[in-house]
Amino acid sequence: METGIIALAAALAVAGGAIVGVYEAKVAIAAVEAIGKNPDASSKIQGMAIIGAAIAETSAIYGLLIAFLIIFILGA
Amino acid sequence: MEVQPTVFYIIAIVAIIAVMLILINRKLVKFDPLSKPKGIVLVVMMAAEMVDKMVKEKTDDKAAKFLTPYILTVAVYIFLSNIAGLLAFESPTSNYSVTLTLAAITCFLIEYYSIKANGIKSYMKSLAEPMAPFIIMNLISKASTLLSLSLRLFGNITAGTVLMGVIYQLFAKVSAMIPLFTNFNFFGVLVTPVLHFYFDLFSGAMQAYIFITLTLSFIGKELPKEQ
Repeated sequence: METGIIALAAALAVAGGAIVGVYEAKVAIAAVEAIGKNPDASSKIQGMAIIGAAIAETSAIYGLLIAFLIIFILGA
Repeated sequence: MEVQPTVFYIIAIVAIIAVMLILINRKLVKFDPLSKPKGIVLVVMMAAEMVDKMVKEKTDDKAAKFLTPYILTVAVYIFLSNIAGLLAFESPTSNYSVTLTLAAITCFLIEYYSIKANGIKSYMKSLAEPMAPFIIMNLISKASTLLSLSLRLFGNITAGTVLMGVIYQLFAKVSAMIPLFTNFNFFGVLVTPVLHFYFDLFSGAMQAYIFITLTLSFIGKELPKEQ
């Protein structure tokens, strides 16, 4: 019973990653469109897109860390 | 005091880097500048050129002189630490102390260049902007850089390590159902190389790249604009 609730809590903590995945894909779409419009600036756009995606990814990783904490500390 | 096993892995990785540097240096000394570079010489030249271009793009020439060797060192160290899982090591970057140290160096460099560009007086003033009570917010935003930089690297590599462990266990259980191979992880051998490629090589290279890009753009933000 208790293990099940801990597993559920961990799953909920990483569920936020789904939204991050959608919007990170939007970053990729925007980058591809921008490169299509302006191929000369591709190296600059690439760097910006990667930074944007990396910063957006942080929230997903926080969720993942909290899931780890829940599993390894509460579940132990 | 107990010594963490990560310490030995860090020493091993540093030794690997040192041996590689000595071997590459031997090749580079013999290299004729007029001939076409090939093999390891070409790889080293391309990496150095790439980092050089990146640093020059994001910062100015004066800062680049100091930053280029540092960034290349950090990139090589983080990349080798990330792919250490392939050598049956425990990745040093899956230890929070290591990533926190790396992020702390970045934060120190950010503050250093900020003070150098603005002078200590206006740096202190910028902490209390726009009003005096905002000093707390500004300090929190500085700490969040440290936290997010270190946690991003740590979280990604730890997630990869934990996921690989789970997958190995899963396939060990699946393989145990086959009568002949009860003690041999048959499916694990078949499936995991692809996942190692993604979680260790791709993710490791990506995270090293992201770390140095973020470091450079944070530092570049603090440098004075000359137009």
